[in-house]
Amino acid sequence: MKIGNLVFNEETKGNILDLYGKTTDEEGFIVEKENQKQRVLTPKGEEIHINEWAGIVRGSEAFIKSDAFSLMELAKKIDEDP
Amino acid sequence: MKILENLKKAFESSFGDVFTNNTFKLFDFSKTINNFIEKDGEKLLINLDKANPEEKQNFKKVLDDSIQNDNEGFLTTKNVIKTKQIKRNLPRQKDEELLNFYKDKISEDIYRAFELSLIVRNAFNSGEDISELKRDIYLKFPKFGNNVCNLTTSDYFDYYFSELHKIMSEENNFDIEKYKKEVDRIARELPYMVFINRYKSLEEFEGEVKFKLSKLRKYGTDKLKLHAIGRDNVEKAFRISENYKYDSEITLENEVNLNKTIATIIFKF
Repeated sequence: MKIGNLVFNEETKGNILDLYGKTTDEEGFIVEKENQKQRVLTPKGEEIHINEWAGIVRGSEAFIKSDAFSLMELAKKIDEDP
Repeated sequence: MKILENLKKAFESSFGDVFTNNTFKLFDFSKTINNFIEKDGEKLLINLDKANPEEKQNFKKVLDDSIQNDNEGFLTTKNVIKTKQIKRNLPRQKDEELLNFYKDKISEDIYRAFELSLIVRNAFNSGEDISELKRDIYLKFPKFGNNVCNLTTSDYFDYYFSELHKIMSEENNFDIEKYKKEVDRIARELPYMVFINRYKSLEEFEGEVKFKLSKLRKYGTDKLKLHAIGRDNVEKAFRISENYKYDSEITLENEVNLNKTIATIIFKF
């Protein structure tokens, strides 16, 4: 896995969510646009608040959280620099 | 980069001048540009607000291809920085040996806190800001996260806990669950603990216990625990507790193994 080539900022989160057919509910959790009662889950089954959303990685639209434990699992998969 | 080739194929007819003779290192989503795609040096900036529905769908296909087939992570700038910090400081060599040692010897939650704490330790030793990593450990494990982090950076997992395992495992009725419980207890009760070791004198520990007792009383806590492993340290702990034998405000409780190589002395007040 590589990171750093595709990036987005906090203010464009809404645009990216929209691109992927998602939005946020009244509590700020990411939900499916077509069914706003359905919260998007991480690969580990956790709900994601928009403020805790780090991005998307390979998988079935794998949305990941920004806490250090989630990013640690991601970091382990990053290719070593050539 | 493959994504650049795919973007060119998808959008060269509309934005050919952007792609002409350009290589791009970074693809950044931005709201600050006036067109759907613009270049800024070695960066390609994308403003989805300026894209029509067809452009958005085409772009999503290119993005998905990059994420799924090229295994590119699509993260916020802030989280790229945080992930790279974690990557730089991942456990290696000696840390990996420690992780292997503790893998089945401590609870899963303490193990996870310990693993990230090793990263915190490495980052700290490199002079990096560790506040966010520490905060994340605390938020995930509020009852013991901070304590495990402190125990890790103070090398307790390098020496103390492995020594504790060695001593406990030599006992006849040893069960790994007992060890797990003991580590768990220490991790949760660290603020009430003083660890007796050979690096400080009896007098220094007596002073430390006196100081900690007054602090704990002030903050409304009702106990302090002395924890000692090894015969000499256990003896030291008992000698300290002797000072409080006749203190009417303190009740002492001793937990000591048969060989007198592990002791916890509880001061209740």
